[in-house]
Amino acid sequence: MSFTLRSVKVPPNSVSLEEARSRTFEFFRSACRSIPTIMEIYNLYDIVNPSQLRSAIASQFRKNAHITNPKVIDMLLFKGMEELNNITEHAKQRHHIIGQYVVGNQGLVQDSGSKDQGSSEFLKNFYSGNYF
Amino acid sequence: MGLGLLASRALRSTRAFSPLNPRNVRTIVSTPELQKPEAAAAVAQPEADLPKRTPVAGARVHLPNPEDAIEVFVDGYPVKIPKGMTVLQACELAGVDIPRFCYHNRLSIAGNCRMCLVEVEKSPKPVASCAMPALPGMKIKTDTPLAKKAREGVMEFLLMNHPLDCPICDQGGECDLQDQSMAFGSDRGRFTEMKRSVVDKNLGPLVKTVMTRCIQCTRCVRFATEVAGVQDLGMLGRGSGEEIGTYVEKLMTSELSGNVIDICPVGALTSKPFAFKARNWELKGTETIDVTDAVGSNIRIDSRGPEVMRILPRLNEDINEEWISDKTRFCYDGLKRQRLNDPMIRGADGRFKAVSWRDALAVVAEAMHQVKPEEIVGVAGKLSDAESMMSLKDFLNRMGSNNVWCEGNGVHTNADLRSSYLLNSSISGLENADVFLLVGTQPRVEAAMVNARIQKAVRATHAKVGYVGPASEFNYDHQHLGTGPETLKEIAEGRHPFCSALKNAKNPAIIVGAGIFERNDKDAVFSVVEAIAKQGNVIRPDWNGFNVLLLNAAQAASLDLGLVPESDNSIESAKVVYLMGADDVNLETLPNDAFVVYQGHHGDRGVYRANVILPAAAFSEKEGTYENTEGCAQQTLPAVPTVGDARDDWKIIRALSEVAGARLPYDTLGAIRSRMRIVAPNLLHMDEREPATFSASLKPECNEKMSTSPFGTAVENFYMTDAITRASKIMAQCSALLSKQ
Ligand code: SF4
Ligand code: FES
Repeated sequence: MSFTLRSVKVPPNSVSLEEARSRTFEFFRSACRSIPTIMEIYNLYDIVNPSQLRSAIASQFRKNAHITNPKVIDMLLFKGMEELNNITEHAKQRHHIIGQYVVGNQGLVQDSGSKDQGSSEFLKNFYSGNYF
Repeated sequence: MGLGLLASRALRSTRAFSPLNPRNVRTIVSTPELQKPEAAAAVAQPEADLPKRTPVAGARVHLPNPEDAIEVFVDGYPVKIPKGMTVLQACELAGVDIPRFCYHNRLSIAGNCRMCLVEVEKSPKPVASCAMPALPGMKIKTDTPLAKKAREGVMEFLLMNHPLDCPICDQGGECDLQDQSMAFGSDRGRFTEMKRSVVDKNLGPLVKTVMTRCIQCTRCVRFATEVAGVQDLGMLGRGSGEEIGTYVEKLMTSELSGNVIDICPVGALTSKPFAFKARNWELKGTETIDVTDAVGSNIRIDSRGPEVMRILPRLNEDINEEWISDKTRFCYDGLKRQRLNDPMIRGADGRFKAVSWRDALAVVAEAMHQVKPEEIVGVAGKLSDAESMMSLKDFLNRMGSNNVWCEGNGVHTNADLRSSYLLNSSISGLENADVFLLVGTQPRVEAAMVNARIQKAVRATHAKVGYVGPASEFNYDHQHLGTGPETLKEIAEGRHPFCSALKNAKNPAIIVGAGIFERNDKDAVFSVVEAIAKQGNVIRPDWNGFNVLLLNAAQAASLDLGLVPESDNSIESAKVVYLMGADDVNLETLPNDAFVVYQGHHGDRGVYRANVILPAAAFSEKEGTYENTEGCAQQTLPAVPTVGDARDDWKIIRALSEVAGARLPYDTLGAIRSRMRIVAPNLLHMDEREPATFSASLKPECNEKMSTSPFGTAVENFYMTDAITRASKIMAQCSALLSKQ
């Protein structure tokens, strides 16, 4: 994906955690700012609204909230920018966005979860596979 | 190679060669001092102080009485050995591995390959160490130029007529000839003539032959006559016309024939089903236990990825020595066929539909709650491990039913005294017996490895064998005493000529087949056998010759855990039947509206009647405890992953118990095992034979009458006895070709 690399300049490393933190916020804002474009190019109006997308983005950030190493944060920022770039360049297709950010990690077939309620850890593991 | 070494070589070679023609001696020997071994040997070797050597492969020697020990010197290192040992064995004790082809420590000595030549001081020629008895004070040299030259020469002769087909040979990578020619052979050949070729022989569906590769070591011939007890193989012709073959066009009809594949040092005899399937260095070995019979042979499963590629024996002196039966070795293709891989429910149209585990378990639990607790029946199969049988019994007990048993155990079998269902003499102990009385058992098909021990005893000490049962084939001398219980009664009352043999015997052994468990008059039969045992002094403090030969891998453990049916007609009155891998229970009397759950790994007989299928793991895919017929608990280890959506047996029952609202208190194998410790602690003593403590004389008196019906055959077809072997194509070929001859 040479065109992606062309457009993404590698910024210098963050010196401190504070710098990495401010960069993260900056990146979050830029991601949120591109939500209207994303809704437009992937034609997402009938399945999702901007605030849902925003919380999907925020949850991606929160997933890594525990990381304190500025180098790692820089790397994650880089990956995030690459992803954002791919999305805004329309390098992805509609089902990618839906699969990753709209339906989310739970998968398309959603268990209501009420079935397994009250069952033991063993039984839950048993349903998911033989090796546990 | 250091410069100094090169220089010294150059110096020495000028000394060894005559200076007249230093160049035109063409030799295949690359080490110059081998040219004149005598001269080089004459150079006095400095007496190095020798490091302590460890015997080859942990060989140990037991000196019965120290006066009989002699001392020999191997490469200057003194070893004490008992009288009668060969030079080769002495070298092995001294930690020197002598190359060999024809010598095999479980077979008689042939001494025809000459690869094991060593130098012995004061003997004019090198001697074949495998055939030479060691004499006191002998000075053996294994590393001298003379010995090396002798080996190189033998190697050259052997390779003369050996084809150069290592790239297409299945033995490649584990070939003795390949290895030893790398280690001891010359680095160039002088042979320019034509190689001889030999017509391949057809030995049946198991052993592939490429007879041109044979080096005439006759190991296979000796194995067939001495261990397998069949005179099928032999040597034909002389000199370069020498060939191995069956004398007439005939297949090899032994249940141990697969072992010739292991003992053949070259690729002349290889496995037919394994031909061109894999190279041995791609395979991952898992040391586990065989479950096709009650012997529990130690095996190694060689797998590549998720596939079992072959099964090889593992050494265990107490159980299978280093042999395994053909069923054990070749049943593995059954692990790939007919497998159940999804939970399934039979729909209204009689077809199975794949469902999720959640639904399947819910349906089973629902069905179990619909009926009265006594109407639930559980049957464990032949191949079940102890852990899953424990959890099945616990689960059904929690549901309120005690109708749980293991197939083949009969009704009201005495499971309280371990001595009444174990092979009390132990498998290796059978070698010491001098009279055998086989009651209703055909060990050749029921437990081939036990039969091999009896054969060994008959061969070594001319032990007498008396047999009561239907006409059957034996591979050793035996007396057919009769077919039914009357003969037993005659022996018990002392009216039979065999009685005197039994009375005069030092270590008499009675072996009762587990097929008798299925007879209605089994208590009477057992009490008559015990009467015979009492007369013949079979049970003494130092010798217990009362043996029961079990049929299935699960049987001993199931009896230890008390899986015995309570009443004869539990199947007739059952509403829910839980088959845990049980394919051979008779379901004909089962009411039509009964609900049948089949948990198992193969779509075999049990599935035909099942309403729900729960797929489970086969023995090659799970960790489980099995107890063999002599009471030795051993463990299988998973060699390959489970297929599809299958689960381990005990996990299925544990999960079902929770869905059914009778949750079992264990979540791990370790927890089940601590539960087993309460019921049968011997199942936790891995790889240790736990002899029965009580003797059979504690049994209550029985006053039933024996019926007159003769004993039956417990195993109709040696090659197909359980779900795995019935699914195997190779076993089907074998039973078509070999069992009806
Ligand atoms: S076939 Fe194999 S075992 Fe038999 S004599 Fe030839 S080399 Fe030896
Ligand atoms: S091993 Fe001694 S002659 Fe073959």
